[in-house]
Amino acid sequence: MRPKWFTLAVATVLLFAACSNSSTSPSPSGGASSPAASGPAESGSAPSGSAAAGSWDPKSITGTAILSGWRSSPEEGEALTQTLLGFPAQYPNIQVDYQPIAGDYRTVMITKISSHEVPDLFYVNAEYAPEWMDQGFLEPLDDYIAKSGFDTSKFFDGYASIFKGKDGKTYGLAKDGNTIAMAYRSDLVTTAPTTMDELVSAAKALKGKGDLKAPLCLNPGLDRGLAFIYAQGGELLNADGTASAIETDASKAAVQWYMDLFKDGIGMTAADLGSGWCGEALGKGQVAMTFEGGWLDPAMTGTYPDVKYAWAEMPTGSSGKPVTLSYTVSYSIGADSVNKDQAFVLLTYLAGVDGMTKWTEGGVALPSRSDVPTPAGKDILTKGSAYARPGSGFMVGYTDVQKAFQDAFTAQIQGKTYDAGPVVAATKAAIDKALSQ
Amino acid sequence: MARLPSGATGSAPPTLRRARWSAALAGYAMISVPMLLFLVLQIGTVFYAIYISLWRWNVRSGPVTFKGLGNYQTALGDPVFQRAVSNSLYYAVVWVPLTMAIGLFLAVIVNQKIRGQTFFRGAYYFPAIASSAAITILWIFIVSPFGLFNSVRETLGLNPLFELLGYGPHKNWIGDQDTALNSVIILNAWTTSGTFMLFYLASLQSISGQVYEAAAIDGASAWQTFWKITFPLLRPGHYFVATVAVIGALQLFDQAAIAGGPNGDPNNALMTVVLYLYNAAFSQLNFGYAAAVGVILFAVIFTATVIQRRLFGGAPSW
Repeated sequence: MRPKWFTLAVATVLLFAACSNSSTSPSPSGGASSPAASGPAESGSAPSGSAAAGSWDPKSITGTAILSGWRSSPEEGEALTQTLLGFPAQYPNIQVDYQPIAGDYRTVMITKISSHEVPDLFYVNAEYAPEWMDQGFLEPLDDYIAKSGFDTSKFFDGYASIFKGKDGKTYGLAKDGNTIAMAYRSDLVTTAPTTMDELVSAAKALKGKGDLKAPLCLNPGLDRGLAFIYAQGGELLNADGTASAIETDASKAAVQWYMDLFKDGIGMTAADLGSGWCGEALGKGQVAMTFEGGWLDPAMTGTYPDVKYAWAEMPTGSSGKPVTLSYTVSYSIGADSVNKDQAFVLLTYLAGVDGMTKWTEGGVALPSRSDVPTPAGKDILTKGSAYARPGSGFMVGYTDVQKAFQDAFTAQIQGKTYDAGPVVAATKAAIDKALSQ
Repeated sequence: MARLPSGATGSAPPTLRRARWSAALAGYAMISVPMLLFLVLQIGTVFYAIYISLWRWNVRSGPVTFKGLGNYQTALGDPVFQRAVSNSLYYAVVWVPLTMAIGLFLAVIVNQKIRGQTFFRGAYYFPAIASSAAITILWIFIVSPFGLFNSVRETLGLNPLFELLGYGPHKNWIGDQDTALNSVIILNAWTTSGTFMLFYLASLQSISGQVYEAAAIDGASAWQTFWKITFPLLRPGHYFVATVAVIGALQLFDQAAIAGGPNGDPNNALMTVVLYLYNAAFSQLNFGYAAAVGVILFAVIFTATVIQRRLFGGAPSW
């Protein structure tokens, strides 16, 4: 019997060894400071709430801060690494452990949140910021901001407003932003159109020219369509965001105007052009103009360096006012994060003037603060930051509204019926549902 | 292990009983840990999911409000969920017989003693072991408007034939709401036929050669041999392959998510039940609702499997 029991014991030990999770505890990246101790003024564990006025001394805080986010390109990873190099000079007692998440960032973060093991400082995309704030995943930063005296007045309002919860508290600071502008082939378009009417006539003149498959590449969704709807005097929501406004005559006319671009062959979707996105269509020479954000630049220089293109502001529409969409991401601290003090110090650096200048000077993204210099070649895009309206994150459940709009819009253009009525009806139903939850 | 002398009944001598008892105990002890893990991680999670489905569930703080069957009612009444179910059912009804037929055809071919038999087996099975994400992206390229398939049919002069069917020269096969699901069906029929070929090969090996000899003596043609002898004798193989195929078909996710994105574009053409569940969980953060969708899917698959067992299970009869 002894050999059997021995085998069983060994098997059990091996099984439990194999089943134990790899530890996610922070490992100081080669620093000399002790990982657990922190400064005399604050305790290392969650200090939320109680703020001893004027007792914030970031230089005396020690420990580790685990930083996480996605890395959409090698250039972006490199830019962040360079930015982080400037941190130890100012705060030598805090070690930064940068652990980017590969793959589907949102899904991985949600699994981390559910297991209460979140990084200390991480990205939150405006796209899902309202939901994450609503469900209590994020730590409110107001006490930290008050204690530390961090100046938040210079953030562009279009970015900062996204990360304020329904309770009025701040749950993140915008790390950067991007606006949508018009990218056009400078060899095919001599004068960039400044109004929507000029855009349409310029596009009609370009039809069938050279190798172009279509004059414009357009998205069948609100991610770009909303800019056109705004420009032509339409709205999604009423002034205080409490009810739908997509069904008004002005909004319906704006949606129809956008759909007619597809009907008249002025614009095609990237999928119908055989490209993954409109930037690819522009780079491959399939279209002459498209509407993208600053992320287009590294993609063009990296993949299509021979294509000559230039930027221009979004053409103004019948509303007469310049308008565009902005997209942003925040740095936020999790409600379950372990090293919140350390994370906030890192946050003040990355979202402060110094850190943001280093992060944006390579052109990866635009500054979300007005006191950070504009990166080279990004004047048009940065100009948009001043008047841009949020392209996401301004209402809970916006992804469902986007889906309803895009499904109905796609059905119309693929079915070749080009009727804005069903699109407006479906979008209104989705908005009503989202607002009622 | 000690054996009882044949014909002995009733109580065995004490030493023998102890020996058998501790042998049995050792056996149970050996399987206790895997059984415990199975009960907790496989069976237990099903009951946990049913529990979650009765609540509005916050992934960080747990249950929020009790909803009873509310999540189920919402799911069954949601037009997008209904579309997801109809897509999944259509996919199962079309893809399962198609892939079984291709798999059986390939198995019969590679079961012959031909030169390169091993090479062909490997070649037909290869798509099953390649990354499904990589193959889907390759497929998206092949069927894109200016991709391989459209270029080849243009070169071969087949475009007039396609025009008759209503398909233009640069048809976006996977981006068009009418053809997207069928494109994915063809993709998966190609990639999974290799796996079914293997299953059928195993079944084919179990058919005795004497049956074929008898058929040859009776003068049966190749088709008659296949249809009247091989096909019926493969009934256990059919049952197994059909069950596995239906379960897999109703759980379609990877290809739909890669080709159509998380929203099942275009216009829900690629929305499947599992993709809908994924969205409800990670996009809408409505975990109770997602659990309810999962339980509904479990019920559907379980019912389908039981029906198949009733209809096709059991040994083949002459």
